[in-house]
Amino acid sequence: MADENDKGKLKTPVAGGPPRLDRRDLLKGLSTVPALGLFGYAWSRQQAHRAGVEAAAAAPAAAAGVQEINIALLGAGAQGQVLMEAMLRIPGLRFRAVCDIWTDYNQKRVVNTLKRFKHEPNGYEDYREMLDKEKQLDAVIIATPDFWHAEHTVACLKAGKHVYCEKEMSNTLEGARSMVMAQRETGKLLQIGHQRRSNPRYLHAYHKLLGEAKLLGRIVTVNGQWNRGVTQDLGAPDRYVIPADRLKRYGFKDMAQFRNWRWYKGKGGGPIVDLGSHQIDIYTWFLGANPSGVMATGGRLYYPAETHEWYDTVMVVFDYQTAAGPAQAYYQTQTTNGSNGYFETFMGDQGTLLISESELNYPGQLYRDPNAPAWDEWINKGYISAPKEVEVKEKVEGAVADVRESAPPDQHTVPVSLRDPYHQPHLQNFFNAVRGKGTLNCPAEIGYESAVSVLKVNEAIEAKARLAFTPDDFKI
Amino acid sequence: MESTTFARGPMIAITVLRVLVGWHFLYEGLTKLTAPSFSAAGYLKQAKGPLAGAFHSLAASPDMLANANMITMWGLAIVGACLILGLFTRLASLAGIAFVLMFYLAAPPWIGLSYAIPSEGSYLIINKNLVEAGALAVIFFTGSGRFAGLDRIISGVFRRRPRLAAAA
Repeated sequence: MADENDKGKLKTPVAGGPPRLDRRDLLKGLSTVPALGLFGYAWSRQQAHRAGVEAAAAAPAAAAGVQEINIALLGAGAQGQVLMEAMLRIPGLRFRAVCDIWTDYNQKRVVNTLKRFKHEPNGYEDYREMLDKEKQLDAVIIATPDFWHAEHTVACLKAGKHVYCEKEMSNTLEGARSMVMAQRETGKLLQIGHQRRSNPRYLHAYHKLLGEAKLLGRIVTVNGQWNRGVTQDLGAPDRYVIPADRLKRYGFKDMAQFRNWRWYKGKGGGPIVDLGSHQIDIYTWFLGANPSGVMATGGRLYYPAETHEWYDTVMVVFDYQTAAGPAQAYYQTQTTNGSNGYFETFMGDQGTLLISESELNYPGQLYRDPNAPAWDEWINKGYISAPKEVEVKEKVEGAVADVRESAPPDQHTVPVSLRDPYHQPHLQNFFNAVRGKGTLNCPAEIGYESAVSVLKVNEAIEAKARLAFTPDDFKI
Repeated sequence: MESTTFARGPMIAITVLRVLVGWHFLYEGLTKLTAPSFSAAGYLKQAKGPLAGAFHSLAASPDMLANANMITMWGLAIVGACLILGLFTRLASLAGIAFVLMFYLAAPPWIGLSYAIPSEGSYLIINKNLVEAGALAVIFFTGSGRFAGLDRIISGVFRRRPRLAAAA
């Protein structure tokens, strides 16, 4: 017992009660408390460090040493949020306002997200009120439904703002024309959201592969598609339904139409406009010519008529008179089966380019025709990857190749990647132009030409006839 | 008292171990508490192994998930603080073991299981969760808090006075 008493493990029973704790107990008992203090110190240092990093990220103008651009997002739906996420990665932007008629849901969500990134945007339901109050805005990003684009864009341009407007430029040619006119009157910038025009992979293909190296020879045929699987109509939580009078005021008959406006005539243009316009724009760009004629067929083959006024399936053939000679391009979009996704294939007499915004699915394959001159020079220059011989498919039993089969070509790929969100380079191009550095990749006139080509497809389906374009159709 | 059966050197080493493990727990808990939107949902959704079904249903139920998130965040922080201080050491060790075993079972590095979320090291059956559980077992059985920790003060305060008769 004496030993243990010495170690302080048991207290000596003395008259009046033993001391329950001696000094040694207290010291040992508290011996690890300083570790908690050390933790607290390390934690506070680390939080301070993190706050510093975040503050630097949230004040990009100062960090990047560039002029800060005050922006507003007009239309905070799905596409508006895609653009917002891309813009949050671009230095030197300051969100000042968010405008959306779905105030309790999308607007709130976007405002809250932006606040997390140290922006302090004001929320608006009516874009006119926003333009009245937010005098310091430099630019407005418009991602409202197509039928609002013209009014919104014209008003913003006339209020002295630069505008980035999502495609389709407008659901009517009159609307698109009024946008071009307003741009010319005001001298402000107007970029249309055909974002592939700023994609480094498409730029490489256009300038280097087609322009400089002329790898495809003369392009005679083009083929492309956007196949998308069946999608359900979009809904809305009951407690967040927009009041009927507000919906009416903004041109929607009910919440279902507000959520699924792309399918309604007079609001959007259906899949050929939503999906096809991106790729048909690339046809025009790469061929260097606007189409001279269009034939199309389409129908509502799958979805109910009362909720899907536009065609769920469209197949279209364009004629072109390019500088090198005539060409034809096929395009299809359907919304009942997503097989093979979306891509554009340009076929020339010397090679083929298969490119897609989705690099994951299509890395940008290039096939050299066996009769074409060697591509070694372009491989050495880094314009294209070294060839990979296309595997000879395993022999299918009973299947025979006869003399009419072409020899399989070598496969190369486009050696350029985009590791940012798809829309970021196009937005960056717009903001560079706002700062006076560089020109727009898709100014109003290009957007207009694209709208002429695409909106004509729906007309051709209704007319059940080949419709011709004249060069004047594309001019304003 | 069992703590008296260990020599001084090992007890100091185990106390250091306790502080290290506690530090890790506390930081894991606090980072989750201060993250803007921590949720265990992603982790639970990709759970594999024997408890995968239970974890998946936990992730699928918003109410249960909210509870699981709160328990994880606060539980880790409190266990960590207790281990550092040597406060309720044995209870904290048991709770800590329960946490790390759950983490282990949610994503066991067993042969034939692969995960979408890459882990930071290379593990075959044994991973750091299991090692931490082993360390906590040592801390539990040695009652390290009574050697150096607030438990020593508490046990002193609440210790029954030995009776004179018993001592005699």
